[in-house]
Amino acid sequence: MKYILMMHGKKNSWDEYAMWSKEDLQRNLEFMQGFNEELQHAGVSVDTKGLARPQEAKIVRAGDRGEAVTDGVFPESKEFLAGYWVIDVENPDQAYNIAARASAAPGPGGKPANMPIEVRQVLGSHSDLGF
Amino acid sequence: MKYILMMSGNKAGVDTYRAWSKSDIDAHMAVLASLNRELTASGEFVASQGLAAPHEAKVVRGLNGAMPITDGIFPESKEFLLGYWIVDVATAERAYEIAGRISAAPGPGGVPTNMPIEVRQLAMHAPQS
Repeated sequence: MKYILMMHGKKNSWDEYAMWSKEDLQRNLEFMQGFNEELQHAGVSVDTKGLARPQEAKIVRAGDRGEAVTDGVFPESKEFLAGYWVIDVENPDQAYNIAARASAAPGPGGKPANMPIEVRQVLGSHSDLGF
Repeated sequence: MKYILMMSGNKAGVDTYRAWSKSDIDAHMAVLASLNRELTASGEFVASQGLAAPHEAKVVRGLNGAMPITDGIFPESKEFLLGYWIVDVATAERAYEIAGRISAAPGPGGVPTNMPIEVRQLAMHAPQS
């Protein structure tokens, strides 16, 4: 079963992260690298990506002639995707345990950041939506 | 440059979609499948995933060594990721153009869904697998 683990942040979360001390950033980065390597060795990693700062984020809708109409204004409260992991595991509990590990990644001073991680199943095929 | 195009919606929107007629769903999926083939042929396609309905969504937090905590209660207004496309394109405008095509995919009765598609650049330094 494939699951996606998603980490979200607000617009200012990227600025706050950038203000962490060099040691704190290094510790967090090393954790993430080790975590990703471990998922790969365990054969559960499918894909992982980090997203750029949301300052350049755009919402696109099709106009009357199918052209792209862009809008870059968001409410302050909007949650932006910061990064994700797609994993292939045996059961949901395994996905929750891996999400908990990601949530416990070290933050400032080495304390677990305790970021909330949204866990969702990825569709094998479109019919899984239950039409 | 790699961009991610994200389609999101709330639970009510997902329930509405699941009530579309089979022919509306087939027409919608045919357009998206055709777009994926076109992006694959042009070398711009990187990845795409659809997510299951958000009714089983959980939020997990974990402290050192503690059991994971799951919480499946969300505000009705919460926007859930429904699916995404990652494309490798020459310009941001090309990413917007592709997002516009996805937004123009037909909905009920063949009318474009006009779904909002969030377009974001992937981080260069992030782990890539």
